[in-house]
Amino acid sequence: MAEAMRQEIASMLKGIQRYNPDNLQSVERYVTFQAKENAYDLEANLAVLKFYQFNQSYDIDMTCTILLKALTNLPHTDFVLCKCLLNEGIVQESNVSRIIHLANLLESCDFKQFWARLREIPELHRHVVGFQDSIRKFVCHVIGITFQTINKNLLAQLLGDVDSHTLNQWIQKYNWSLRSDGYVFVANQEACIKTKNITENIAFDSVMNIMKYCRQG
Amino acid sequence: MAFYDDRRGLDDYDDDYHYDTDYGKHDSSSYPIMPDIIKKFILHFRDVIQNGSISDKQTLYESTFPKLTEQYYDNSPWPTDREILKELPEIENSNDDHIFLVLYSELCYRHIYARVPGGPSLEQRFESFYHYSALLDWILSSPEPVRLELPDQWLWELIDEFIYQFQSYAQYRARLHQKSPSELEKLESASKIWNVLSILNVLHVFVDKSNIKQQLEAHASGNKPESVAGEFGCHPLYKMLGYFSLIGLLRVHSLLGDYYQAIKVLENIELNKKSHYTDVPACQISTAYYVGFAYMMMRRYADAIRSFTSILLYIQSVKQLFQTRTYQNDQINKQTEKMYHLLAICLVLHPQCIDESIQQVLREKNYHEKMYKMQYGDTNEFESCFMFACPKFISPGSPPLDGPPEDHSKKALKFQTEVFMAEVAQQKMLPIIRSYLKLYTTLPLTKLATFMSQGVHQFGDDWSLDKEVQALTTHLLCFKHKMKNVVWVKGPSGLDGSFQSGSELDFYVDGEMVHIADTKVAHRYGDFFIKKILKFEEQNNKLRSLKISKD
Repeated sequence: MAEAMRQEIASMLKGIQRYNPDNLQSVERYVTFQAKENAYDLEANLAVLKFYQFNQSYDIDMTCTILLKALTNLPHTDFVLCKCLLNEGIVQESNVSRIIHLANLLESCDFKQFWARLREIPELHRHVVGFQDSIRKFVCHVIGITFQTINKNLLAQLLGDVDSHTLNQWIQKYNWSLRSDGYVFVANQEACIKTKNITENIAFDSVMNIMKYCRQG
Repeated sequence: MAFYDDRRGLDDYDDDYHYDTDYGKHDSSSYPIMPDIIKKFILHFRDVIQNGSISDKQTLYESTFPKLTEQYYDNSPWPTDREILKELPEIENSNDDHIFLVLYSELCYRHIYARVPGGPSLEQRFESFYHYSALLDWILSSPEPVRLELPDQWLWELIDEFIYQFQSYAQYRARLHQKSPSELEKLESASKIWNVLSILNVLHVFVDKSNIKQQLEAHASGNKPESVAGEFGCHPLYKMLGYFSLIGLLRVHSLLGDYYQAIKVLENIELNKKSHYTDVPACQISTAYYVGFAYMMMRRYADAIRSFTSILLYIQSVKQLFQTRTYQNDQINKQTEKMYHLLAICLVLHPQCIDESIQQVLREKNYHEKMYKMQYGDTNEFESCFMFACPKFISPGSPPLDGPPEDHSKKALKFQTEVFMAEVAQQKMLPIIRSYLKLYTTLPLTKLATFMSQGVHQFGDDWSLDKEVQALTTHLLCFKHKMKNVVWVKGPSGLDGSFQSGSELDFYVDGEMVHIADTKVAHRYGDFFIKKILKFEEQNNKLRSLKISKD
C-alpha cells in the first residue's frame, strides 16, 4: 500500500509537475497517510513545503506533521532540509516553534530535556503513529556509536524513563547485553575506534625527476 | 580583497551602488553613438553568427566584443537592436538577422547589468526578459533543431546570466522601500516577468528536450549517449543547453534553500570526476560551489570538504587562466574566495586532513585568524563568514506590493543564516571537548567534567559533579552524533551515502572512562625535500646556461 502510493506520488511530482497546484491535495493526503501508517517519504513532504514556500501560505497542521515526521528519520538531517523551506513568519507559530525547540534538544542529544518537554505537550505528536519509538531508535543509534558499556539506569533515562520491561526489549532489539554489574554491554568499540597514523607515502612519479638529474649529474 | 569587488557582488549585498572607476579608460561620451568600427564589427559579427565557424564565434565572443566594449562602451550601453536597424540598412528585419539581433541584445543587456552605472532600469529588466523569452522560444518551439551553433562558453554564460538576472530581479523587486508609486504599478502588471515558475519551466524544458538525463545515465552505465539522445539531444546546442540547465537548476534550488532537490537534480553527473560533458571552467567551479554549499547545509561535511578541495586544487593549477580582468573572471575569483571561507567553516566543524597546498592557503593570516576565532566559539565570526560566502538567497513568493514598503530582500538570507547558526549553536561545546580529548588517550568522565566546568562557578553552592557528568554525557553523545555524517561512496546520486566518522579525532565511552583515538600525521619531509631538490636543480641549470662575457 505505502509503496504503491509512493510510486504514484513520485510520478505525480516529476519535473515541472512538482509545482502543479492540482497535485497538492493528493500529496497532502499522502502526508496524513504517512503519519497514520508510520510510513515516510521525505521527497513528497519537501514538495509540499516547496509548494507552500512558492505561495507563501503554509498549512500549519500539515507543516507540523511534516516536521515531526522528519524527526522520526533522525539521525538523517531531514529536519534541517524541511526547516530551510520555511520562512521567518512560520517558525514563530507556536506549534512550529515548539517542534523546532524539540528538534534542537534532539540534535544536541539532550534526551532528558527532550522527554520532559514532550510529556508537557503530548497532544503535539499524538497523530504521528510510532513517534516516540522512532525517537528511541535514534537514541539507541547515538548510544550505539558512543558507548562500549553504559549504566543501565542512564540508558533507561535516555530512552525516556522507560520501565525495566521496555528497557529489556530495547536491549534485545539491538543485541546488547545486560551484565550483572548493572552495565549494559553495547558494542566492542575498541576494535573499530583506533588511533590512526598517517605516514608519508612518496609516489615513484615524484622522485622520477630527481633520479633523472642524478643520472645526468 | 577590494581588488575582486565586482559590481555583481556589491549589488547583491547592499543597496548602494558602487562603481569601479578603474575601468574607465575612455570617456565614451566623446564618441558618436556608432563609430564606423562598431558598424563594421556588427556586420562582421552577424556574418560570423550566420555562417562562421565555432572558433571564429569564440574569438568574437571572448575577445573582440569585450575589447570593443572596453574601448567604446566602457560604462555606457551598446546600441540597441532598434538603433542598429535604423543605422545599418544592411541588417534587415529578416528571420536570420532577427536571431542575430536577439543574441546580440543578450550581450548588450549583460553589459548593462555588469558595467553601466545605475544598473538596469525597470524597463531594461523587462526588455531583457522579453529578449530571453524570444530567444528561448525560438530554440524550443522549432519543430526541428534550429540551425545554430555557439561555443560552450557562450551557452554556459547564457544560462548563467539568465539565472543571475532572475535573482537580481527578485532582489530588486523585494526592495519595496525604494519604489515609487509608478514603479509599483508597473511591477503589479508584470507578475509573470522573471517569475520563479517560468524560470524553472524553461530549465526543465531544456532538460527534457535534450534528453540530457537519459544521456548522462547512458554515459554513466557505459552506453553510448547518442543512442538515447533523440533528434534534438544529438545537436550540440540542445545537448549543452540541457546540461547547463541542470547546473542552472542546482543554482535556482540552492537560492531557494531546497538543498535536497539541488543535489538530486545532478543525478548521473559524476561530481567527483572532471566532467566529460563540458570543459567550461566557470561551469565546473560554479557546480562545485553550490554542491559543496548544499552538502554543508545537510551536515555532510566530508562531502562538502571533498567538493571544495578538489575544485580549489583545480583552480590552483590553472590560476593563470583567470588573471585577466573580465567580469567573468572576477566572478570566478570571488567564488574561489567564498569557497575558502566555506571550507574554513567546514574544517572547524569537522576537522580532517586535506591536501597540503590547500591547507597552506588556510594557514595564511586572514583565514587562520577566522578559523581560530570560530574554534573558540566566536559565533559572530561564523555568521560573518557564512553571510560572506553563502549564495544570494531569494524568497520565491514576491512580497505583496500593497503591503508596507519594507526591504524584503534580505529576509531569505537572514532566515538561512539562522538555520545554519542553530546548527553551530548545537555544536558549540564540541571544539572545547576536542581540545581536551586531544591531550589524552584515556580520561575518566569525572575528570573531563571538572575540566569543562572550570571557570563556571566551580565548587559554588549549586555545583555538583554528578550534574556536570550528566551535562558532559549529553555533549559527548552530541559529539558522536554530529561527527557521524552521511558520506557519498558510490552510485549515481549525490544524495546517497553511508554513515562514517571521518573526523580526525574519535572516542568511545566505556562505563565511566573515555577512550580516545586520534589521528597522527607524520611530518611530510619527503615532499619538502623533493620540492627543494627540484628548485636547486632548476637554479643550477640556469647558472650553467648563463654566458659570462670576458671583457
